Amino acid sequence: MQEQHASGFAATVWNYITTYNNILNDAARHADFVAEASGVMNAARQQQYLNRIMQLHAAFLELSVFDLSGQETLRMGRFLGPSPPMRNFFQETPFQVALQQGQFLGSLERFQGLYPTLTIAVPIVDPRIPQAKPTGVLLGKISLNGLSQMLVQQFPEGGKSEAAVVGPDGFLIAHSNPKMVFKVDAKLPKEITDVILTQTQEKGGGEVVLQTGKTFLGAYAVVSQLGWVVYVQQPIESAYGAAIEMKGEILRVLVWVVAVTILLSLAVAGHITQPIRALNQAAERLGKGHFEEVPELSMTNDEIGDLAQAFIHMAEQIKERTGELSHAKEELEKFAHFLEKRVEARTRELRAAQDELIKKERLAAIGQMASVVGHEIRNPLAVINNSTYFIKTKLGVGAAAGTGPPVDPKIAKHLSIIESEIKQANSIISEILTFSRSRELKPEIIAINNFLEELLGVHPFPSHINVVRELDASNPVVNIDLDEMRQAVRNLIGNGVEVMPNGGTLTVASEVVEAGWVRVSIKDTGSGIPPDVVEKIFAPFFTTKARGTGLGLAVVRKVIDRHNGKVDVESVVGKGTTFRLYLPISAQVAGFPEPAQKA
Amino acid sequence: MADKNLIKLLIIDDDTHLRESLAEVLELDGFECQQAGNAKDGIETAKKLNPRVVIMDIQLPDSSGFQICQTLRKASKETILIMMTGRFLSAEEKTQGFELGADEYITKPFDLAELSIRIRQLLTRGAKA
Repeated sequence: MQEQHASGFAATVWNYITTYNNILNDAARHADFVAEASGVMNAARQQQYLNRIMQLHAAFLELSVFDLSGQETLRMGRFLGPSPPMRNFFQETPFQVALQQGQFLGSLERFQGLYPTLTIAVPIVDPRIPQAKPTGVLLGKISLNGLSQMLVQQFPEGGKSEAAVVGPDGFLIAHSNPKMVFKVDAKLPKEITDVILTQTQEKGGGEVVLQTGKTFLGAYAVVSQLGWVVYVQQPIESAYGAAIEMKGEILRVLVWVVAVTILLSLAVAGHITQPIRALNQAAERLGKGHFEEVPELSMTNDEIGDLAQAFIHMAEQIKERTGELSHAKEELEKFAHFLEKRVEARTRELRAAQDELIKKERLAAIGQMASVVGHEIRNPLAVINNSTYFIKTKLGVGAAAGTGPPVDPKIAKHLSIIESEIKQANSIISEILTFSRSRELKPEIIAINNFLEELLGVHPFPSHINVVRELDASNPVVNIDLDEMRQAVRNLIGNGVEVMPNGGTLTVASEVVEAGWVRVSIKDTGSGIPPDVVEKIFAPFFTTKARGTGLGLAVVRKVIDRHNGKVDVESVVGKGTTFRLYLPISAQVAGFPEPAQKA
Repeated sequence: MADKNLIKLLIIDDDTHLRESLAEVLELDGFECQQAGNAKDGIETAKKLNPRVVIMDIQLPDSSGFQICQTLRKASKETILIMMTGRFLSAEEKTQGFELGADEYITKPFDLAELSIRIRQLLTRGAKA
């Protein structure tokens, strides 16, 4: 578009110039204009002719005629006085060029310093003579304001396009804004002239960026005959007007779309995505059991807000429930553990109680039976005893010996055997009744060594038994039923004596073996007890003796059990046996006066 | 017969053999023995004959020896009351018996010489008192 404008106007410019050039040429070759006589011009006619031209064509500011010597012969000007001074142009370029080349177009200048003018010079030639030589030169100065006026019409002010005609060296010939032209040294911006005056092409165009930062779409076309350039420019905005506008619109729409999309996204994110994500995260944390880390869920007042509220409520409930559950679980575990322990303990207790019960029941049954049997046997024993006594008395045996007739010694012997067996039977019965009877313990505080010394002091040891005492120096105090404990220790001493018929050492020891416990040991140097027998020796009625109830050690165990003590045995066959009784040391040790100190 | 020198003694026991054997042994020692097989007869005989000594079994078919003891002690403070038993008596039982008036306990089978001496001791003290 711009280039077309430029080219079009370039043609116009040329036409414009050509018009005036033709006028001058026509004048210079007009018969009235040339000399009447050879070598002489008719000044009067020339003046008449040029006047007419000046009247017809306002663009001619000055017209001059020169003769071949370069002397000005006629000079007319719109702003000259009646007799202007005549000049000699022989040395001037227009004169010489016109003569030699038949035409001169050039010498752009500003008439009166403002209005651009062009000088055209043509040789004056007689058209009637073929190959006639010039007789002079016709020179005219043409105002180029007309070009500006044409530009103004074509590119009116206020429009976006501007156009100019520029001469060589950037001389501003015409401009769509004439004010630009009517200045001393009027020029187009350097950026433009730099471009258009260095072009090699006849025409062209492109973007020009001015120092002001404004970008124009410019186009130029060279008026080749003159070396002028027509330049047309349009601000890039208006040059690309529609496109730019469309682009702008699209851009605006795009911006709007993007903005709206972003806002919408934000809104959506804010209202839907973000809360849902928050909910999701919260749910994940809940799932992992991090109830304390559930984020603050402040939600909008819509469905998602409701959902969030429901979720928060749910989370709280889950937290609460889980708390309750874990608490309950802990409690349950504790309780289960406690129960387990209790059950274990109770089971042990029950088993022990059961064992004890069985033992007691058995013993009770034994006791009951023994009691009945004992009682029932004691009656006949008493009768036998009475009868024997009667017979002995009648026969004069024993206490009544020597009072009657002599008695067969064998009868006396058998009566003694009967009496002895009655006693034996009675002692067995006594033993059984002692073992089976249940009486309340009557514990008394006593120093263990004193108890043992007292017992050993009255025990009828045979002479072949060496008795050794190894008593603990601390002499701990125990709380024991004296009758029962005496019976128990007596049984052990008796056993020890019994297993050493050929002599031996019986060691009775007391020793504090651990805090709160004293051990009483009765050690013999007898034949020892085989391991298979050792296991059974505390069982009631178990005996290895020819005569024995098998209750001696059973009584020992019963007594020690009743004192919350322990009894064990260590025996090496051929070396001897040691019975050990463990008794709790009484807490009432403090302030207990020893019998020895009493005295 | 030197009936007046003999000491009247009553034996109450449901065992005939025991009763008789004991009676005959004690008769050798100068006691005039009466016998009863149960509590009812024993009490009646005691009231009728007023014996100086009563030896009674603790267990009788119709009653306990302690009840006879109590009854007889109420009737007479001088009568020597000896309790006879075939089983162990607890200290409580013995104490209870003494409180009801019993003077002595003997456990079957008993040493008859010892019993005779003991009875005479009790009679001597009773006479002194």
